[in-house]
Amino acid sequence: MEQYAIQMKGITKTFGSVVANSNINLTLKQGEILALLGENGSGKTTLMNMLSGIYKPDSGSISIFGKEVSINSPEDSKKLGIGMVHQHFKLVDVFSAADNIWMGKEKPGLVLKKSRYARIREIASKFGFDLDPEKKVYNMAVSEKQTLEIIKVLYYGAKIIILDEPTAVLTVQEIKKLFDVLRKMKQEGHSIIIITHKLNEVMEISDRVAILRKGEYITTVETSKTNENALTEQMVGRKVDLNIDRPTVDKTSPLLEVRDLSILNDEGSVAIDKVNFYIRGGEILGVAGIAGCGQKELCEAIAGLRPIQSGQMIHKGDNIVGLSPKAITEKGISMSFIPEDRLGMGLAPSMSITDNMLLKNYRDAKGPFIDRKRGRAEAEQVIKSLEVVTPSTETPVRRLSGGNVQKVLPGREIKSGPNVIITAYPVRGLDINSSYTIYDILNKQKLNGVGILFVGEDLDVMLSLCDKIMVLCHGKLMGVVHAHKATKEMLGLMMTGSLDLTKEKSHGIAKDTLFKDVLVSADAPETAAQAEEEISNSGDKEE
Amino acid sequence: MGFHIVKRDICPLWKRCCFYLAAIVAALFIGALVLLAIGVDPLEYYYQMFTMGMVGNRIAYKTVMNYLRDFVPLALTSVALSLAFKMRFWNIGGEGQFIIGSITASAVAFLLGPSLPMWLTVILMCIFAMLAAGLYGLIAGFLKIRFGTNETLMTLMLNYVALYILYFIGETKESWNFFLQEGSLRPVFESFASLGSFPSIPIGDKFQLNICVILTLLIGVGIYVYLKYSKQGYEISVVGDSMGTAHYAGMKVKRIILRTVFLSAALIGLAAAFKVGTVGVLSTSITNDVGWTGIIVAWLAQLSTPMIFVVAALICVLQTGSITAAATFSKVDSSFANMLQGAILFLILAAEFLVRFKIVRVKKGEKTNE
Amino acid sequence: MNKAEVITSFIHNIIVFNIPLLYGTVGEIMVEKSGSLNLGVEGTMAVGAIFGYIVGCYANSLGVGILTAFLAGALCGLLFALLTVSLQANQNITGLTLTTFGLGVYFFVGNGVKATGWPVMGDYSSIQNGFADIDIPLLSDIPIIGKGLFSHNLLVYLGIIIAIAAWWYLKHTAPGLRLRSIGENPAAADSVGINVKLMKYLHICLGCGIMGIGGYYMSLNMSGSFNSSCWINGYGWIAVALVIFANWNPALAIIGTFVFGFFNTLRVSGGSLAAAFPEVFGWLAHIPTQLYQALPFIITAIVLVVTSIKNKRGSSGLPAALGLNYYREER
Repeated sequence: MEQYAIQMKGITKTFGSVVANSNINLTLKQGEILALLGENGSGKTTLMNMLSGIYKPDSGSISIFGKEVSINSPEDSKKLGIGMVHQHFKLVDVFSAADNIWMGKEKPGLVLKKSRYARIREIASKFGFDLDPEKKVYNMAVSEKQTLEIIKVLYYGAKIIILDEPTAVLTVQEIKKLFDVLRKMKQEGHSIIIITHKLNEVMEISDRVAILRKGEYITTVETSKTNENALTEQMVGRKVDLNIDRPTVDKTSPLLEVRDLSILNDEGSVAIDKVNFYIRGGEILGVAGIAGCGQKELCEAIAGLRPIQSGQMIHKGDNIVGLSPKAITEKGISMSFIPEDRLGMGLAPSMSITDNMLLKNYRDAKGPFIDRKRGRAEAEQVIKSLEVVTPSTETPVRRLSGGNVQKVLPGREIKSGPNVIITAYPVRGLDINSSYTIYDILNKQKLNGVGILFVGEDLDVMLSLCDKIMVLCHGKLMGVVHAHKATKEMLGLMMTGSLDLTKEKSHGIAKDTLFKDVLVSADAPETAAQAEEEISNSGDKEE
Repeated sequence: MGFHIVKRDICPLWKRCCFYLAAIVAALFIGALVLLAIGVDPLEYYYQMFTMGMVGNRIAYKTVMNYLRDFVPLALTSVALSLAFKMRFWNIGGEGQFIIGSITASAVAFLLGPSLPMWLTVILMCIFAMLAAGLYGLIAGFLKIRFGTNETLMTLMLNYVALYILYFIGETKESWNFFLQEGSLRPVFESFASLGSFPSIPIGDKFQLNICVILTLLIGVGIYVYLKYSKQGYEISVVGDSMGTAHYAGMKVKRIILRTVFLSAALIGLAAAFKVGTVGVLSTSITNDVGWTGIIVAWLAQLSTPMIFVVAALICVLQTGSITAAATFSKVDSSFANMLQGAILFLILAAEFLVRFKIVRVKKGEKTNE
Repeated sequence: MNKAEVITSFIHNIIVFNIPLLYGTVGEIMVEKSGSLNLGVEGTMAVGAIFGYIVGCYANSLGVGILTAFLAGALCGLLFALLTVSLQANQNITGLTLTTFGLGVYFFVGNGVKATGWPVMGDYSSIQNGFADIDIPLLSDIPIIGKGLFSHNLLVYLGIIIAIAAWWYLKHTAPGLRLRSIGENPAAADSVGINVKLMKYLHICLGCGIMGIGGYYMSLNMSGSFNSSCWINGYGWIAVALVIFANWNPALAIIGTFVFGFFNTLRVSGGSLAAAFPEVFGWLAHIPTQLYQALPFIITAIVLVVTSIKNKRGSSGLPAALGLNYYREER
């Protein structure tokens, strides 16, 4: 009989009344890469956390290299040769790279010696990584932190390596590099589990795929004997049309125009650097860029939540710089931003759905009191139209499952009838069904002539949903491209700054700009006057 | 077979009450052992304590009045603190704000009392105490929003600054110091009961219900409504729940923080005015630790306004009762009350664990049939 | 007293009266570096004081006194750790309760013992001798400052040794590194196999034990009397303040103790300075003592504000997870 690196049998784990894993069987062969595929909330991370010692299974057995074990703590897990790279890195920010590794070393001796830096550097290069052991974690980029995490588990002698959604925060090029590392580790005899919900990555890297759905084990298949459509069907439980619609709509003149916009981040350094773009009614403009390259600051600035450093923003020809968030909302600009924790911005997690409906319009009620009746009515309407699963309108948002939480947010935003929607990461953490619901919502708004700025993570989605995509790198505009002409590789190069289209000609300036003091774009000086004429016409129409 | 700790979703109210009750009984049992060890009958002692010595006592009405005099500042301070806590602003500066409020109220009584009618003096005492305490509280609030200074540690420091201001006033015999008795050689606080005292409503022939009690209850109802139904109360909840969301909704977060901190501290100032306007004299222990106890009360009541009144009432029974009992049993030091209070709280903290978590058995190695 | 003697005694007093602050601060740094904010320093010191003093006297041994004070303090730490680490109780509330409880025990036991006969330190020769000043050879012969700085009792030296050892432990040892990692990010520490609970328990008990010795020092320095007013109200709270002043660094805590002690001593001995040097320090006589008492808190408040303005990453010693309980299965 073949000996497995990991053999999990009949694993069940519940949290209160929620069954996260139910009777799951999973095997990992020695020296293979197993992809663990499943939608968000299907219990992948929970299952892996039982291997890393964070959770203990309610029932079931785990065998490591043929020996039945009981993993009660991360310490046990480490001793068994299991190393996990968590999705949210478990690093001490104020420590150096070396100390982050050193703190978990088996017999570190009593005294900390300077020589530990050399040791760590040596180990890192042995595994084929380039790492500055003295660099503090808070100075590291995301990919560097991930590298550090991988070196850490290798250093502790892990034979089995689990990676939880490692590609979510990486660029296309970085993903390629990561996969090279994984293949090399596999050759050296490591057994690897990689958690992901991206099918193309599954096909590219894995030997076998194990599929979970809603906490239950579905099957394990050999990658070479399956395809993306079959996998999706098993993951979702029914046939899914993976194509995202991109309806064509008559575009109006620019609704929102941004010119030479510069914004500082919280630390006071430049987050957005002289960026130009515009959104027409009836189009979706995507914003691509690696995490933290100014997307958040951009959204906040448009919504009036963050002061800008320099530049201009006009909405239907009217200046909106310096307006209060309330005034901007009243102009019909809606902004929603789903942060990484999915709750921190836009929703108050401990408050009821009703109270969350009131967030932007509680001031409209007359007198000193809030109008809960109205909130309740709105909540009921959103619950009904978007099929939010909840016990009642008074349930705290925190108690809802991820997908339902995220329906509440666009529900509230659309209800106010905006003409410009700024939406950042609206499908973050959603399963495929819910994601498609959100895409449908956005497309419906687009058909109604709303202009949409879509800040996204998944390039495949953006390429098929958006009309145009603007790419940011370190706050600089790298260019605006038509989605149907662009490729993933090209976007990847632009995101890392290797390809800058703005060097050839300026991007993001509409020919029929509504700017009165026209800043003439380099390639279309003669159209400026003509464009201005058009504006006055279209402007009249809209009023 | 092993045991495992799991977070609870909800714990039914009756279960919670059982846990808390068990905690109190266990603490009383431990206290009883200590009492037995020093040769005191615990049953008798507890009987004296919980009845506050009122049974068969001809001056029981006085006990009730004294009890209410302690209850009012504690309840009002806890309610005030709960405002700030709801916003997750950890104001532990209740002591300092209370002291500043009581000094100001006394000063108003001394300076304006002689030339104004009593009712006006009393109103001015309240207003100025609220303003002074509110501004004192604002220091930490302002530093928090301006520089992100940790408010817990800041308000802690300001408590002591206020305390030594009070000591300074109480220990400095100088001609300018109108707080002290003129005739006495040693520094002694002067009474201003004749200048600024809150009126009482006589009930029956002996009992006097101080108007502060009624006012405190009314303020309690007001704050309950304010937090639950007003726009400002809504803003406090959102800011406390998620600063990012509040900002995103276009709320002026900084202004809300300042407003709420001011209101919280001002209400503590009002509690101080009630206290000095009832006892009629300042003292270096004027706070009776309400700033500290108030934190514990607000937390035990989980910031619910009606519960604050219940918990404050119970804690006051413990405090007043133990003083009465200490007077009856000379063997037992009055500090026994502090110990007992500590033990009760420790056990309630432990019981809180059972409210939030449950212990389940884990069956290991159970194979499922396939 | 001549002028030189006044200065010598002033310097001497700075140290002699304020060493309890150093014990309290170093103990609290140990606790806070593990991520726990213990506001019960005052209560812990009180418990150490009363049990250390009584047991020490009955055993007629300074060593037994120190050990008892340490164990009594560590027991308070155990209670705190049990509630906050194992039972996930709110740290602020637990700390405040510990202060109420500890002071209650102090006065209850103290008054109880007093009723049957309070042990007077002078009757116990070993304690009396053990607490006598020891000259450091050569250094203590330096004119004026020699006797002030280098002629102290055993517990002063012990306190300074503990502070330096704690600094070295936190900064330069592997267990110290692990402890800091828990205070910064307990989930990270847990994930690399550090036993978070055990480390927290150990260091909370150790820190509280050190505070207990500080309390014992106070009771010895009261020269063996007991009444309600002899407890120095607020030393535990100054220690909490000093932790911030020292930026969570035990070595800086020594300097902080001297700075705070300087103002404390001005309060007590400012009058004799003014009498000895009327031209230079005459004005000291007019400053109210309460200002000196308030100064440690005012200075700490200023330090708090200044550090929050600078607020550069990596420069503050404030543990990132301070005050937050760690529950592994948190989702």
